[in-house]
Amino acid sequence: MKINKNFAEKINRIREAELPSRSHTRKVVFWEEDTRLLSEQGKALVFILPTRGCSWALSKSGGCSICGYVYDNPQQPDFTLILSSFQKILKNKLNKEFTYSVKIFTSGSFLDTKEVPEEFQLKMLEELSQYEVIKEVVVESRPEYIKDSLLKNISKKIDMSILEIAIGLESSSNSILMNSINKGFFWEDFEKAASKIKENGARVKAYLLFKPPFVSEYDSMRDMLLSVTKIVSLGIDTISINAISIHRGTFLSQLFEKNEYRTPWLWSLLYLCKEIKEQYPDLRLICDIVAGGNVKGAHNCGECDQHVIKVIKEFTMSQDIGVLNKEISCSCKYEWKSNLIHEKLSISEPVIQRNVL
Amino acid sequence: MRFFQPIKQIGYSRTLAETRTHFPISPGLIAINQPEITEGYAAVFDMPFPPKFDDINKIEYDLAWILPEDKMDKYHSSKFQLTEQPFYPPFADESFIVSDFENYIDRFLSSPKLDTAIFTLLISQINNPRFKEIMDTECSLYILSGLTSLFNNQRRITETLVQLREMLSPDIALYAPGPISPSLYSFLVYMGIDFFDNSFAHYVSKNGYFLTEDQVYRQSIHPKCYCPHCTGPEPNLFKHNEMVTKNTLSRIRYSIERGIFRAQVEKDVHNNVSFAAALKRVDTHFNENLRRRTPMISSSPVRCIGEESFDRPLITEFRERVRERYKPDPNSNLVILLPCSARKPYSFSRTHKFFHKAMRNAGKGVFKSLTELIITSPLSVVPHELEDIYPVKYYDIPVSGEWSEKEIKVTAELLNNVLSHFPKDTVIVNHTHGGGYEDIVEKIRTTSSFDIRNTAKDASPTSEKSLQQLTDTLIEIQQTKEKDEQKGISSKVRKIQAVADFEYGLGSGEILFPYSVRIKGKYPRDQHIYLDKEHIATYVTRSGYLSLFPKYANLILSKTENILEFGAERVSGSNIYAPGVVYANKRIQPNDEIFIVHENQIIATATALVSGSDMNKMTSGIVAEVKKKVRSKK
Repeated sequence: MKINKNFAEKINRIREAELPSRSHTRKVVFWEEDTRLLSEQGKALVFILPTRGCSWALSKSGGCSICGYVYDNPQQPDFTLILSSFQKILKNKLNKEFTYSVKIFTSGSFLDTKEVPEEFQLKMLEELSQYEVIKEVVVESRPEYIKDSLLKNISKKIDMSILEIAIGLESSSNSILMNSINKGFFWEDFEKAASKIKENGARVKAYLLFKPPFVSEYDSMRDMLLSVTKIVSLGIDTISINAISIHRGTFLSQLFEKNEYRTPWLWSLLYLCKEIKEQYPDLRLICDIVAGGNVKGAHNCGECDQHVIKVIKEFTMSQDIGVLNKEISCSCKYEWKSNLIHEKLSISEPVIQRNVL
Repeated sequence: MRFFQPIKQIGYSRTLAETRTHFPISPGLIAINQPEITEGYAAVFDMPFPPKFDDINKIEYDLAWILPEDKMDKYHSSKFQLTEQPFYPPFADESFIVSDFENYIDRFLSSPKLDTAIFTLLISQINNPRFKEIMDTECSLYILSGLTSLFNNQRRITETLVQLREMLSPDIALYAPGPISPSLYSFLVYMGIDFFDNSFAHYVSKNGYFLTEDQVYRQSIHPKCYCPHCTGPEPNLFKHNEMVTKNTLSRIRYSIERGIFRAQVEKDVHNNVSFAAALKRVDTHFNENLRRRTPMISSSPVRCIGEESFDRPLITEFRERVRERYKPDPNSNLVILLPCSARKPYSFSRTHKFFHKAMRNAGKGVFKSLTELIITSPLSVVPHELEDIYPVKYYDIPVSGEWSEKEIKVTAELLNNVLSHFPKDTVIVNHTHGGGYEDIVEKIRTTSSFDIRNTAKDASPTSEKSLQQLTDTLIEIQQTKEKDEQKGISSKVRKIQAVADFEYGLGSGEILFPYSVRIKGKYPRDQHIYLDKEHIATYVTRSGYLSLFPKYANLILSKTENILEFGAERVSGSNIYAPGVVYANKRIQPNDEIFIVHENQIIATATALVSGSDMNKMTSGIVAEVKKKVRSKK
């Protein structure tokens, strides 16, 4: 059993109440941003494909406790339209002066043939292989859709060495995966999928989730370090630490509204970047902060937030540990420390100001 | 064997000491990480912060007790360990929290050293039947997770803490982690929390708070402080707050030690609206639970400042014992109601000397049939015989002359009860004056058929007019009553009989002290009581209570509830240990003189350390200190 039945039931109830609010169709969303390529800085062209959404989130198990992306997916996707806009955008946007990483996100799994029919998966990847400026292609998938046969078919369409398959592992701890995130798979599934990807010549990127529900920030920091160690030992060289942000309509958002969850501190992320980069200098470590400085995202006291976010972004882009070594001081560091130890001792009870004065 | 030994108890608060050396530790402060100076802390957590790669496999965190080094080799242990914790916190859904908590219990029970392991108790799981398995182990310290979420709910916080303390043995310590304002400590300690930590001091930041012992201020605007941490060249808010936190707990320890903690709690709850309500709730709904744990034998000052004092367990227990255990002299058919005096005992006061003079003026014989009852708040009704006992001799109130509805009601009820023991033809002389007293006497008049005469209706009781009226009234009453030829009881004997009833149980006094006893020793020295040249008891002036010789105490075995059934024929050593306790009567209060009984024979007398119900819960450690033993026959 890779799920905690009672926990999954609770999540599914929340999901079922929220799902009907989805719209029917959507356009392909895209944007351009600066990014860190393997060895240099470059541009990223990010696509969000309006597929029907993550099959896990739509299943009877309710999906992940923290994820509300599925509410942005339409109910009836039109792949002919998706493909043609994809082609059009590539044509218009790619500029010969830069190198690119193209990221195709679906808010689910690109390699899930129920979500994106294989025919379209292959056509899109083939399209990308036409452009020389594209040095990296990133797609996301849950491990269960990473099948040898599919990878073989893909390898006929695109140079596998530029393909990176990102897996939202979140944590290497099966207990966290099951009891906190309701991820539906275990570390061992990730291990198997990662080795299949590597055997087929593509690269693996692992997403880790910082501070899932019910895990104290202190324990989540330890979990990040432990997970990084385990991932690196598989020979994976890119890890992205994603600080949690509150998505509406999720199990987590309910906890958050009841004051039973505090989003992580930016100090913790800053520290993690430093500690991990020091231990693994060759690792490409990406730290993505959504809604930074906001109560619904990673935040500090409000005064030092923007500064810390800037430093973490700078580090992610440059991969230069020197950026992190500059001491940042703010008196809320004390509060950070006491909050974290309190959360650890009382398991994950956040500090609510009105309760303690 | 558990790590802690309770050495004092007031309500649910205890002073816990290290079990082998009796070095006092709680109520105490835990440092969540190595502090600059360990002085003033009870223990220090060794939790690496922030966690490093080297720490990822660490699953055990030490909690090191700060104990004096010169006795290092004697301690039961100097470190505790926090190993695993439950996965789900107390606020998670019942549907998945229960099995997780039970799995945690299983894992915890398999830990190698339970006596130094720290258990994490979820506040929402105290009713889980499997929690009992933990209580039965030697585990001595529980982290209480989720307590602060109850701070705004006075009903739930009182019910939860009372329930917990009723379940837990007094030698199990509770630690409430996280930032909690020191102004809340005294109530929480009174309700049985033993440890806090310094995270509140850490909690201060740029948007932080400045602490004083009774309030929390915004740092931007607070009273000026002249402590070295605030006046130095580099003011250090953390150190200031840390100092205040330590001082608050030190003050709490001091007042538990001195027996004056309850008064401090009454004062401190006024810092917070919901805690003030919570104390009222405890006093209303759980008064008996606290009374059983409140020492009655003491000599600490009893300051009754606020309205909470009226329901203070010590006071309610006094009223309860007057109701249950006071029986007037059967020859008495004349009652005189008097107001209280500031000076204690009453008879040493100027006003009461006036009253006695006025009574004597009515003829010496008047005292033979007369019972004095002092009407006072918050004790309500004090029979004159009990004027020297604790708390009567030690209480202090701000006298305004105003009586509240509740005071009038409770006092009238108790007075009615006391008066019901007197013969129907008893005359009551009301020598009190003023609104509240009038209301009380009026209530008596409507509910009983006694002949009540007022002697201070128009003027103060000490005025010449009133005193003369008192004398005249007493003369008049005596003339109408039949001449009683019986010899009166010595007032000294009558007094020790009443004290014995109050201390040991109704009927004890008459059995223990027939009129032929001789009392030697003059106030303020302790008085020795002899029967047929044998020293049978001592009256301790300081507390106003008696102390019996064990052999002689056998006479009241059927009358008293101060009984501890002991599992062996003889008591060895100077303490009674928990494993020897077969059953301790639940009426036993800390400091009580108790009788150690084996096969219906008293084998020793002892002083209780904790309440009877708590003695029954303890599995190790000292429950009472031996006073006197019966000499062995051979």
